[in-house]
Amino acid sequence: MDRLLLTLSTLAFVGALVHAIVALRAGTWKDNKGQWVLMALALALQSGFLYLRGEVHGRCPLTNLFEVFIFIGWSMVLLYFLVGATYRLSLLGLFTAPMVALLQTLALLSSLDTASPKARSLPNAWLELHAAISLIAYAAFALGCVTGVMYLMQERKLKRHKIHALFFQLPPIHELARAIQRLVLLGLVLLSLGLAAAYPLHISISNPKMIFTWCVWGLYALIAVVMWRHILSARQTAWLAVVGFLVPLVSLWIVTKA
Amino acid sequence: MSKASRIICLGINHRTTPVEVREKLAFAEAKVPDAAREVVSIPGFDECVILSTCNRVELYAAHSHEDPKQPLTALVDYLIEHFQLAPDQAEALVTYQLASTQAARHLFRVVSGLDSMVLGETEIFGQVKQAYKTALEVGTTSRELNKLFQRAFSVGKLVREKTAIQRGSTSVGSVAVDLAGKIFDLKTCRVMLIGAGEMARTCAQSLLSRGAQSVIVSNRSYDKAVELAEEFKGHAMKFDDWEHSLHEVDIVISSTSAPHFVVKPEMIQKVMKLRRGHPLFLIDIAVPRDIDPAINDQEDVYVYDIDALSAIAEEGRQERERQLSICEKLIDEQIEKFRL
Repeated sequence: MDRLLLTLSTLAFVGALVHAIVALRAGTWKDNKGQWVLMALALALQSGFLYLRGEVHGRCPLTNLFEVFIFIGWSMVLLYFLVGATYRLSLLGLFTAPMVALLQTLALLSSLDTASPKARSLPNAWLELHAAISLIAYAAFALGCVTGVMYLMQERKLKRHKIHALFFQLPPIHELARAIQRLVLLGLVLLSLGLAAAYPLHISISNPKMIFTWCVWGLYALIAVVMWRHILSARQTAWLAVVGFLVPLVSLWIVTKA
Repeated sequence: MSKASRIICLGINHRTTPVEVREKLAFAEAKVPDAAREVVSIPGFDECVILSTCNRVELYAAHSHEDPKQPLTALVDYLIEHFQLAPDQAEALVTYQLASTQAARHLFRVVSGLDSMVLGETEIFGQVKQAYKTALEVGTTSRELNKLFQRAFSVGKLVREKTAIQRGSTSVGSVAVDLAGKIFDLKTCRVMLIGAGEMARTCAQSLLSRGAQSVIVSNRSYDKAVELAEEFKGHAMKFDDWEHSLHEVDIVISSTSAPHFVVKPEMIQKVMKLRRGHPLFLIDIAVPRDIDPAINDQEDVYVYDIDALSAIAEEGRQERERQLSICEKLIDEQIEKFRL
């Protein structure tokens, strides 16, 4: 049942993407209620999946890499609804939908959904809080990456004088640059809270999980400083947000395997 | 009898009548209420809305005649008498005379910007709204025209929402403004004019109308710079000084008659160091060009010359032409609904 919900959710994300492309080509993107509804439906189905998994485990469903991917996808969509509304970046959905759909498709097709000893262990509130907040932080970084892609596309169009339909639909680059900064900062603050939540667990500093998590924190702290001090151009900073996301992605795999 | 059958429209526009004649037939804003009252006082006329803009003069009326030709002729006579046209002018007057569904379709097209000089422009929507409001206030509209105009406003909104008739920019000035709006928040933008050419002036005006903060004008003739700066409520600068203030502005519009590049890469490199990551938009309207195109390779700097701007404007016009058939179809559907 839970995998069925996830499959339906993936289809809804694909539907949202197709709807967005059709609307953009027809020049009717302004009337984007359809995309909003499909994204909301996909989020509801994702939530259903996580709820069922939570019921089965009797704890936060973060027991294997499969669930971790789904949780990040869920957090991304949640943040999309918050960020999209706040910063008028409604087109973020067009870029978020394929990323989450891909994440879920890979998760569904892979053999990552294996029973983990964690599923049977007794829940620890601090551990669950640490994991959940850290993954929401990763979702913020993922959205920063998506926004970075939007920035790079818009910047390229401006530089090359290629002013087509998508140019008019994408937000101004100053808004995108600001959104990247805010998402990186939001992710950094959340990750700091996640790390603080791990403090009562007395995990050794030499623990590979902690080392990788601190590496991710260090990288994004560096990106935040680069942004704040304007050390690099806005385009280079956007590239950092895009390429930088590979680090948390790889670290996730290592952390969940460890 | 269908709802639209007692409605007529008599008009002239930029396609039927040259500006020398249009300006003679334009109703001054203050005289529109009296003119509307005069029309409804003509026997057989019940309602009237007068739309008078720089591109069109149109009289919409509801009548009680059996044959629409009669009230249309009466409206032509009214125009001739009201503007006291000489017999030769009256004879040369070319108007479009529409009745019933044709009149309704015409208004729907006008409100949607399909009959405008710049296809899809939005200003006409507000002008029609104002014309209707004036008529409503003086009491020259009733059931027929109220229904027609309210439906027309819905159709205008529908066309703009469901099609891309507004997409893109169709003039160099509007392209410059749209591009600037995709780089900055225009409300915080400072603009510098190097040279005081007509097109640069138009661009600056467009930017100011969209909220640009201030304008600095620098010109070889300082007097002309002062004159233009006063027009924009900005400030003038000696031609030798503009380079020192370049880092303080976000948009530079250059239109000098210099035979060589006036804005050079090394100049912008220094400026960008001072701007701490803030982008710079350089618009080159001069021929020969003022701004070295190599500057476009620098980070956070965007250079557009007149050819690049014109090409985008042309693409915008073509895109709107492509949308025209979709808009017409939508209007046909709405006309069908209106007749039910």
